[in-house]
Amino acid sequence: MDMLVFAGASVVKIAVVMVTVLLTVAVLTLAERKVLSWMQDRMGPMEVGPYGILQPIADGIKLFFKEDIIPSGANWLLFSLAPIISLIPAFIGFAVVPYGPNIEIELYGVTIKPFIITDINIGILYILAFTSIGAYGVILGGWASNNKYSLLGGLRAAAQVISYELNVGLAIIGVIILSGSLSMVTIAEKQAGGILNWNIIGMGHGLGIWWWIPVTQVVGFVVYVISSVAETNRLPFDLPEADSELVAGWMTEYSGMRFAFFFMAEYANMILVSCIASVLFLGGYHAPYPGTLFPGILGYFEGIAWFTVKVYGFLFLFFWIRATLPRLRYDQLMRFGWKVMLPLALANIVITSIAVYILR
Amino acid sequence: MTVADLVKTFTFYEILVGMKATITVFIQRIVLRNRKAITLQYPHEKRDLPGTYRGMIALLKYDDGTEKCVGCDLCEAACPSRVITVISAEVEGEPMKRYAREYSMDMTRCLFCGLCVDACPVDALAMTKEFAWARYNKRDLRLDKPQLLALGDRNFPEREKKLEFQHPNVAYFNIGHKNLPSKAS
Repeated sequence: MDMLVFAGASVVKIAVVMVTVLLTVAVLTLAERKVLSWMQDRMGPMEVGPYGILQPIADGIKLFFKEDIIPSGANWLLFSLAPIISLIPAFIGFAVVPYGPNIEIELYGVTIKPFIITDINIGILYILAFTSIGAYGVILGGWASNNKYSLLGGLRAAAQVISYELNVGLAIIGVIILSGSLSMVTIAEKQAGGILNWNIIGMGHGLGIWWWIPVTQVVGFVVYVISSVAETNRLPFDLPEADSELVAGWMTEYSGMRFAFFFMAEYANMILVSCIASVLFLGGYHAPYPGTLFPGILGYFEGIAWFTVKVYGFLFLFFWIRATLPRLRYDQLMRFGWKVMLPLALANIVITSIAVYILR
Repeated sequence: MTVADLVKTFTFYEILVGMKATITVFIQRIVLRNRKAITLQYPHEKRDLPGTYRGMIALLKYDDGTEKCVGCDLCEAACPSRVITVISAEVEGEPMKRYAREYSMDMTRCLFCGLCVDACPVDALAMTKEFAWARYNKRDLRLDKPQLLALGDRNFPEREKKLEFQHPNVAYFNIGHKNLPSKAS
């Protein structure tokens, strides 16, 4: 009976998170087009519904009913598998993200954490491991299409994702050193008590009034944000699907729902990356002021609201960067990743670890 | 590299300048609302085309309803894309007067340069402001004389007056004065 209640509660939490993520993906497809057009003196989609707000539904219906084409020279198995390999890791990472305060409620004698699906003690490692698998979807899809543009896109994706995933991993090590934990929930909890205690400032680790300066994670934050933009294959690092060079990169031969899977994976990855950045560097569900404004249950939802605001702020930053910057050349991308981002991330680790070793 | 350059590099100064530009436009559009999109919702609202717009080509008539074209073939000679085909013939009973018995334009080839309009000695050709001529069948774009005349009637409601000295027998001496009627907007 206890097992049943626990499983039921978990299924409900997973369903809520999945629906929320899918709805956010739908909103993002419209929001991106609208924000881009507002920044570029255009209007964006205006036809479907008032101001085009029903565009995601129209897009979904269109993609659902489109013909499912598999090129005759394609490797059928890998071609079909690639979108799934791409999509599942993008959604699986949401399992360990703390959406709200780490509270426990009793339900039929079972302890349940309502705002956290699961709290595994290697949460951030788990996310990194699964997002790396997502890169296989891109590479396999590019190879299996039997198209030169797809293959080039897949190769570029392979090189780019490997280079920048290294930087993502190194950029968050500073946070892990400070928190002393790989669990997303613990990392978020240690940043309680206002904006100064967030890891981007780093005053919340009991190192004294001035000694937080060497452990401040601004460098790690900047490296993480830039590398995550590259990791999600978005402008200015969208070389794998460079529209003006490689028709649509690794997605060239995909149509219908398979294409929609890749599309959803890209946006889900964006949301996931924003969630991680919010939790690791911007205090997750903690407000910029100490404590909460509302008492009790409302306070928990205040936390969720702050988390949502931070995630959407990051997503807006993604659109903003896309509207501003042109695409990097391939050698610039590699040089930036290996010669700028990597040394910065390493220096961040060295300084943070020395400071923590001496001061703690 | 000076210190200022280094600081600029490490703070992503140029990128931040660019991002300021885009967010400024965004705020003007969404918050201040003092900036409008430069694009139009095309099928619902249309641009004001200039009077010199070079759209579909039309054949014109005089105010008494007779065709201006004298079948001289100069437009066919001027056309760089060989769009125009004119088959000229004498007017029955008036051996000095000619007209275009058949006049067809293959608009799939037309590049809308307007050389035929310039070449016409009697101002029988004009360019309209019509451009939305997508057709499902390519052959629908091969316009014959009635269609071209209809285009002219539709777009040039005021016709040029037929001058008195224009005796039918010497019509081809009537050099045009390039006083084309104004286009219907």
